[in-house]
Amino acid sequence: MPTNSGAYDENDATRQTADPADGIGHVVTSPTANGSRDVPDAQNAASTDETLNAHVKKRAVGGKRAANGLTKKGWIWAIAAMVVVVALISVFLVIRQKAEIVTDRAHQADSVSIGLKLAPTNLDIRNQSGTSLDQVLVGNVYEGIVARDSHNNVVPGLAKSWEKSADGTIYTFHLNDNMTFSNGDKLDAEDVAWSINELMVNHYHSSELLMNFKSAIAADTDTVKIELTAPYSDLLWVLACRPGLVLDRNAEYDIKTQAVGSGPYTVAKFVPNDSITLKANPHYWGGGKAITQTVVLRYFADDNAAVNALKSGDVQVLAPVSENLAGPFEKDNEHYRVAAGDGTDKFVLAMNSKGAATSDIRVRRAIRHAIDHKQLIASRGGADKPLGGPIASLDPGYEDLTGLYPHDVDEARELMKEAGYTTENPLELRLTYANTYGTELGDQLRSQLKPIGINLKVNMVEFSTWLQDVLKNKDYDLSLVDHNESHDFSQWTDDQYYYNYSNEKVKNYYRQAMAASDDSQRDALLSKAARQVSEDAPADWLFNYRITTAMKTGVTGFPLNLNQTLLPLRDVTYVPAQR
Amino acid sequence: MMMRNDSHNRAEEYQTGTDLSDMRQGAVSSVERSANQPSKRAAKDRENVALGRGFAVVLRLIWKRGEGKFALTVMTSWVAISLISLFWTPQSLWKTDGYQVWAKPSATQWLGTDGIGADVFSWLMAGARTDLFIAVASVIFAGILGVLLISIMVSRNSALSNGSVVAVDALISIPTILIALILAVPMGASVMVVVLACGIGYGLNLARVARPEALLAANSDYVGSALSYGASGFSVMLHHILPNVMPTVMVQLSLSAGTAVLAESGLTYLGIGVPSGVPSWGHSLATSVKLIDVYPLSALWPGLIVTIVAVALNIFGDVLRDTTDPSSNPELRRS
Repeated sequence: MPTNSGAYDENDATRQTADPADGIGHVVTSPTANGSRDVPDAQNAASTDETLNAHVKKRAVGGKRAANGLTKKGWIWAIAAMVVVVALISVFLVIRQKAEIVTDRAHQADSVSIGLKLAPTNLDIRNQSGTSLDQVLVGNVYEGIVARDSHNNVVPGLAKSWEKSADGTIYTFHLNDNMTFSNGDKLDAEDVAWSINELMVNHYHSSELLMNFKSAIAADTDTVKIELTAPYSDLLWVLACRPGLVLDRNAEYDIKTQAVGSGPYTVAKFVPNDSITLKANPHYWGGGKAITQTVVLRYFADDNAAVNALKSGDVQVLAPVSENLAGPFEKDNEHYRVAAGDGTDKFVLAMNSKGAATSDIRVRRAIRHAIDHKQLIASRGGADKPLGGPIASLDPGYEDLTGLYPHDVDEARELMKEAGYTTENPLELRLTYANTYGTELGDQLRSQLKPIGINLKVNMVEFSTWLQDVLKNKDYDLSLVDHNESHDFSQWTDDQYYYNYSNEKVKNYYRQAMAASDDSQRDALLSKAARQVSEDAPADWLFNYRITTAMKTGVTGFPLNLNQTLLPLRDVTYVPAQR
Repeated sequence: MMMRNDSHNRAEEYQTGTDLSDMRQGAVSSVERSANQPSKRAAKDRENVALGRGFAVVLRLIWKRGEGKFALTVMTSWVAISLISLFWTPQSLWKTDGYQVWAKPSATQWLGTDGIGADVFSWLMAGARTDLFIAVASVIFAGILGVLLISIMVSRNSALSNGSVVAVDALISIPTILIALILAVPMGASVMVVVLACGIGYGLNLARVARPEALLAANSDYVGSALSYGASGFSVMLHHILPNVMPTVMVQLSLSAGTAVLAESGLTYLGIGVPSGVPSWGHSLATSVKLIDVYPLSALWPGLIVTIVAVALNIFGDVLRDTTDPSSNPELRRS
C-alpha cells in the first residue's frame, strides 16, 4: 500500500507532467500532450522508490545489450546451437528411417496394432458388462462350446458336433479331443459343465439369456448334455456368446486383470483404458493357430487421436472410424483400405407409447413418415443401411420393412392435422439422447420434423442421465440410442422396458418362435412379430449402423462384420509395403 | 507478475488523479450545499453533461489509436450483425441437407456447410447474437456482483470486511469451468450456465482487483469528512468510492467480456454451454472441430471469429485503461 510520501511524490509527478517542458527523467508514467504512448521503457517501469529508479536508469544507460538485442558473441553461440539441434534431429530421422527400412524388409510383421474405441474397464468376463470385453476376449482368449462366424451363424467351437432330442429339450455336445488351456491344464467335459453350472448358480453376466435351463452334465470326458425345461430355439446362439464360455476350474488367477482360456491368444499385458497386448498361445490345441505372434489393441477415446495414430503408423487398423473421418484414407487407396462391415447396431428413435402426445399412434406414424432416412445416411457418409423394423439383417427374422413407412411429408402432415397439430399450432416434443452420439442427428431430426408441425427440443445428456431418465424412469417423449445387441427382439415383448410398448400378438409370435423346433419356423415367426412391431410404430429405426474400418494395405484377415462385438484375430496378418 | 505490477502502479497513479478532481468537486459541492435548490439541480445537469463529454472524449481518444479503431470496429460490427441476424440470414438456420454436408464455400453458401448441410455463415451470424448476449449478461452480472462485494469488503464493520476478503480469496480459487460444471448438474446445458459461471468467476475477480483502490478511497480524508458531515455509508459508496474504482471496473469488465466469449466456446465444446439447437460460435466450433483433419476450413471460420472478438475486447480493455486514466489524459482533467 502506498505510503503518504508516495502519494505526495505522485502528486508531484502529476504536476510536473502537466508542464511539457519538464517531462523526462522523473517519476512519470504519463504520455506526452497528444496522448500517445511512446514513452521509453525506463519511464514506464519507473517506481516511486528512488533505489529502484536508480536501478532502472542504470540499465537504460548501460543497456547496449538491451538496445541491440544480442551481442556478436551471442549471435555466434545462437547459430552454433541451432546447427547442433538441426544436426541431432536429422541424425535421429535418418536412424529412424533406416530402422523402418529394416523392418520393411521382413516379409510379415511379428506384431499388429489395432486401434479401437471403447475400452473394457477390467477383464472380468463373468461380471463386467460391455461388448468391448466380448470383443477382445471371446474367441481370442476364451472359447465357447460353440462359436459364431462373421455372419452371426453358429459354428462348431470346443464342441465339434451336437444333436438335439426330438422334443428339443436335451442337447448333446461332442467335444474335440486333446484340448488344453493356455496354462497347460486339460480341457474336458467337466470344465464345460462346471462353467455353465457356475454361470447359472452365480447369475453371472448374461446368464439370463440362457432361458429354460435345467442342467449341464458331463456324460463322459468328451460329451456334455444340456437339459432344458422347455424348447429354446436360441440356445445354440446364446452358447456362442458369454454363457457358453469355458473357463479352467483348476486355475487360480485374478480374473479382473488376467485371463486363462483355451483360445489362440493369451493376455500378455492389460493397461486399463489404454491397451491390451495379446500373445499367441503356443499350446493352442486346435488347427487354427494365431498367425501373428503379438497383437496390441489400443483404445482411443478421441477420434482425431485415433486417426492420427493410423496416419503415423502407430496402429495398422482402426475400427470403428467415422465415415467422414475416413475420407482421406479412402482417397489414398495406395496406402490404405477402407471398408464397412455389417453389424447389428440399430439406431432406435423410441417414441414413448405412453407419452403425453406420443401415445397417439397418428403422431408416431407421422414422425416415421417425416424422417428422411436416406438423407440421414447420406450425411453420415453413406455406409449405413436403412432399417424399417426392429431386426437387423444379421439377425434371424430379418425382412426389409423400409416400405412400411416411406418418406412422405404430405402424408405426415395429414396425420398430424388429424391429431390436431399444424405448423401454426405445433406440437412440442423433447428428444433425449446421450451426447456420445453427436449433435448432428438431433439437429437433422429437428429440421425434418419442423415442416409437419413438431417443434423438437433436443436435450443432449450424459449417458448416465439417459440411463436414469429414459431407461429407468421412462420419462421422455423421444429417445435416441444405438441398440447394438444381437438377437435382442425380446425387448419388444417386455412391458417394463422403456418403450412402454405392449402388444399381445407380438408376445405370442415371439413365444412361439422361441419354442420353434427348427430355425426356418423360428425365423418366419420372428419376422411376423417384427412386422407387427414396425406397423405399431413404437419407434423409428433411423438406420442400421455399419462399422467402418480403415486399415493399411497389407493387413489381411481382419474381420469387418460385427467387429465391435466379435473380433477373432487369429488370421490377422500385416505385410508392410516394400519400398 | 509484471502486468500486475504495472497495473498496480497505474492504479495508484490515477487514484491520485481522481483524488484531485474529487477534492475539487468536494469543494464545489460544499459551496453548493450552502446555496439554494435550483443551483443544485443545475450542478447535477452540469455533472451529467461533464459525464457525457467525458464519455465522448474517451471514445474519441480510443478511436484515435490504431488498435482502438480495430476494437471499436469489431465491436460495432458484432452488434450490427447480431441485430441483422434477428431478421435476416442468407440461409434459413433450420435448413439441413444431408446430401450437401461439408460443402466448400460457394455463391449460395458463403462459408460452406457443416456436418448436417446447414449454412455455416448463417449459423455464425446467428451465433453472434447469442455470444453478444452472453458477453453482455455476464459483464452486467459480474459488475453487480463485483460492486456488491467491493462495498462489503470496504465496509466499516471489520468482521464483515475481513470475513468477505477471506471468502472472496477462497472462492476465487475455484476455476470458472468448475463453477460451470457444478451449475450444469441441476441446470443442464444452457446459456444461463455460461452467464452465471462467468458472472460469478469474473465478479469475484473484479472485487479482488478493485479492492485496494476502494480501500484507499474509503480510508481517505474526504470520505472521513463526508462521514463526519453525516453522509450515509451508501452515499459514500455512491459518490466517493464508486467513482474511484470505476475505471478499474470498466477495464476489468471489458476484459471479462472477451473471456466470456472464450468461455462460451470452451463450455459449449464440453457440452455444458449453449444447448444444441441454439446457434453460437462455440456450437459451430464444437461441431466442426471433430473433423478438423478432414475439413480444416470449417473449424477455421468460427475459430477466427472467436479469436478476433476476444482480441478486440482485450485491446479495448487495454485502450480503455489508458484513456480513462485522468492522470495520463489531460483532456479528461480539463472536463
